[in-house]
Amino acid sequence: MIERLLEVARRRADGGADALWRRVERTSVAFEWGRLKAAGATEEAGANLRVRHRGRVGVAGTTAADVPPDDLVTRALASAELGEEIDLGFPASRPPGSPLPSISTFFDRAAGASLDALIAMGRSLLERLEREGCQVNVAIDRETAQVRVANTSGGAAEYASSGVAVSVDVWRIAGDDVLAVGDSAETADFPGDDVLAALVASVNTRLDRALRIVAPPEGALPVVFTPSGLSPLMLPVTQALSGQAVLQGISPLGGKVGERAFDARFSLADDPLRAGRPSSRPIDDECVTSRRTALVERGIVRGFIYDLETAARARTQSTGNGERGIFGKPVPGYTNLVLGVGGPVPGGAASALGGGLLKDIRDGLLVDELIGVGQGNVIGGAFSHPVALAYRVERGEITGRVKDAAVAGNAYELWNRVGAFGNDARWAGSRWASSVLLEGVSVARR
Amino acid sequence: MIDRLAAALKRSRADYTEIRVERTWSTAVTYRGRRLESATASEDQGGFVRVLHAGRGWGVASFTSLDQLESMVARAGELSRAVSVDPPIRLADVAPQRAEAALDLDGDVRGVALADKKRLIEAYNGAMLGVSDRIVDTLAIYRDEVSEYWYVNAQGAALHELRPEVTLSGTAVARRDGTIEKGLESVGLRRGWKSAQDHESGFRAAAERAVALLDAPMVRGGTYPVILDPELAGVFIHEAFGHLSEADFVYENPQAREMMTLGRRFGKPVLNVGDNGAALGLRGTLPFDDEGTPTQDTALIREGILVGRLHSRETAATMGERPSGNARALSFRHPPIVRMTNTYIGNGKGTFDDLIRDVTLGVYACGAFGGQTMLENFSFTAAYGRMIRDGHVAELVKDVVLAGNLFQTLDRIDHIAGDFRWNQMGGGCGKAGQSPLPVTEGAPHVRIEEALVGGDVPA
Repeated sequence: MIERLLEVARRRADGGADALWRRVERTSVAFEWGRLKAAGATEEAGANLRVRHRGRVGVAGTTAADVPPDDLVTRALASAELGEEIDLGFPASRPPGSPLPSISTFFDRAAGASLDALIAMGRSLLERLEREGCQVNVAIDRETAQVRVANTSGGAAEYASSGVAVSVDVWRIAGDDVLAVGDSAETADFPGDDVLAALVASVNTRLDRALRIVAPPEGALPVVFTPSGLSPLMLPVTQALSGQAVLQGISPLGGKVGERAFDARFSLADDPLRAGRPSSRPIDDECVTSRRTALVERGIVRGFIYDLETAARARTQSTGNGERGIFGKPVPGYTNLVLGVGGPVPGGAASALGGGLLKDIRDGLLVDELIGVGQGNVIGGAFSHPVALAYRVERGEITGRVKDAAVAGNAYELWNRVGAFGNDARWAGSRWASSVLLEGVSVARR
Repeated sequence: MIDRLAAALKRSRADYTEIRVERTWSTAVTYRGRRLESATASEDQGGFVRVLHAGRGWGVASFTSLDQLESMVARAGELSRAVSVDPPIRLADVAPQRAEAALDLDGDVRGVALADKKRLIEAYNGAMLGVSDRIVDTLAIYRDEVSEYWYVNAQGAALHELRPEVTLSGTAVARRDGTIEKGLESVGLRRGWKSAQDHESGFRAAAERAVALLDAPMVRGGTYPVILDPELAGVFIHEAFGHLSEADFVYENPQAREMMTLGRRFGKPVLNVGDNGAALGLRGTLPFDDEGTPTQDTALIREGILVGRLHSRETAATMGERPSGNARALSFRHPPIVRMTNTYIGNGKGTFDDLIRDVTLGVYACGAFGGQTMLENFSFTAAYGRMIRDGHVAELVKDVVLAGNLFQTLDRIDHIAGDFRWNQMGGGCGKAGQSPLPVTEGAPHVRIEEALVGGDVPA
């Protein structure tokens, strides 16, 4: 399909074109409140075309399989007519002898798993999570995709991918106290027993520790953020490390390449070549070969992510972070974000809550989830959120769950007040991180 | 199309089958700073089938190729049979509706050239950029769509609708050295091109606010009497109470049912709350929900007492209540689930001045950057705030985040003014991966006797 599109586009657009075609099939099962309630199937396909004509760039997309290529090109040209001029080049095909990075994205066991296998996995999770007075939701999605990208400079690639996403949450309502503890695991292959066991252990550990409610502490305190609790500290940083924000002049890290902006133990990279991850891919959605991009190394800002267009505007190279839906134009997007303190950190499936960081805390908090992350003026770094799930730590031990408390601070300041990184690194969505102890975090209570 | 869908229904061997098909034309024009980022026209189409065999679970299928309609009906049937559910899923009765319901297109956006849409949003973007050199960045988006919609179900419903939508949004970013602030403007209506006109002043005000916030101190954290402006009061009632009134949260959970027992007192007698999907021309307005149930004005809290909740046919049957027309799907890619439409706090008495007259030290929280609920706990972020000192509105403050417990906070609403208005914001609501669903809210000025405001906490 996209070859025909590009053929027509080559004739009608003087500056070339590129296109993406994607077909997705998804099977899902949902257990609600402990019962299997629904099974679903999705089949979706679409194409996105970008043209450059008289220096201007335009895009068009469709999910209608029967749209004549000429119509879609016409729509893209109409979009280009209004566009600003931009010096956008499409990457040529790779020279012979430089194949795509070998990264497995498609796993037969995931793609071939039957509906019954998905249901059995859900039932097994339900059994292991069942407990008195609680109700369990489980959702399992299995997806396979085929992606083809190509352009008029001869760049072209195609790959298939698979992914299984398992999410569980356990609810406990006692009077007016609502407690919800959840976790999820996303893998490119069919998840093994180790993955499911870690998921169950993660939920059960946090639930056990949450049953007792204690008064929150108050003041500027040591606070440990778990791998999933890190979002309010990571969101400003990832926004600021996008080439888009740098170009717009709104990134606090914009002028700081080569400067130290974080604790010397803080490193961050975007890595599309991580084995077994559903966000991994050999090539991005604009025909740029995937590679690891160092963003921060030992506290020093090293670079930003770019797609073709932001790179052209910034007079630099795309980092292979072009992300493209069926509608709209490509945008820079992260693949796998790896927060590391240097070399690979051992995953700690069986690690205790807190990643070994609690022992020296006399009075503080362990934060697993905050409410409202992403609201407000995120990129500036300031945040203030009530806790959804947090525990009080006294004399090195978790003493119970706290409610009615809020945590506030500035991400950029706090990343310079790191006490230690934990030994419990894991994937939380597409982010790999361990727990982090930060000193002097504002904790308010009602 | 209806005939084609009806024929596919006939071939289904399930006890209940419904089919939705949508074809959506949309255009979007985006400015970033002085640069036109994109101007696109898109066409999206697809279908959704949901099937129920007696004693079995839901089988659902969605697809983009309409050639697959018949095979996807069969596939949904197989999926339903693969799932056994005990006790069985039941659906509350709804009289089958047959309707041709084209909403007022208010200047059909499909007849307006993309270049005209570009000029319109360029002018609004220019209004923000023109405010000050301190405005270092803007984002201005024009978006419209017209969705043609078909729905049939095995009980005889047959609906054909045209649903228009237009949204304008502006973000102005002001910067001085390391300080970055933003102002937002947002307009969203189930209307068309005519309603997109004459919004310069709102965009300009957003940029002026971003600049003013550069000099504003962060609000000092603590508990205060808080007055919510109508916009934030609307977001508050949506976040803090609306989600709990969605019956899919309570219908199969005995403890949750107990917590949300009808007749329970939630607030003082001044408090009235409802959800009205049938209000005219608002963002959450539709004649029917995505199960073919007519929308309505549903009372949720009357004089402080819980009197109703929002239902789909399935939750209504389980709880022995009536469907309220709140089963909504984001698009053909999703199943209908219980959602809000236009949620409101009913009008009170008196003026804004009556609310602040006896406040010695308080916060006037205005506008909304967003909000989130985790059931009994919620958080929402005001766009800006003003201190109230000795009964008067005083200095501008920023980073006003309100956090609280639903039960305590609703009960602390002690005064509601008589200046009700509907919000006309864009944006929308997210739930179960379906976001942003068009909804809106309405409210008068509302006073909370005491609420926790996040902000600077002295060490």
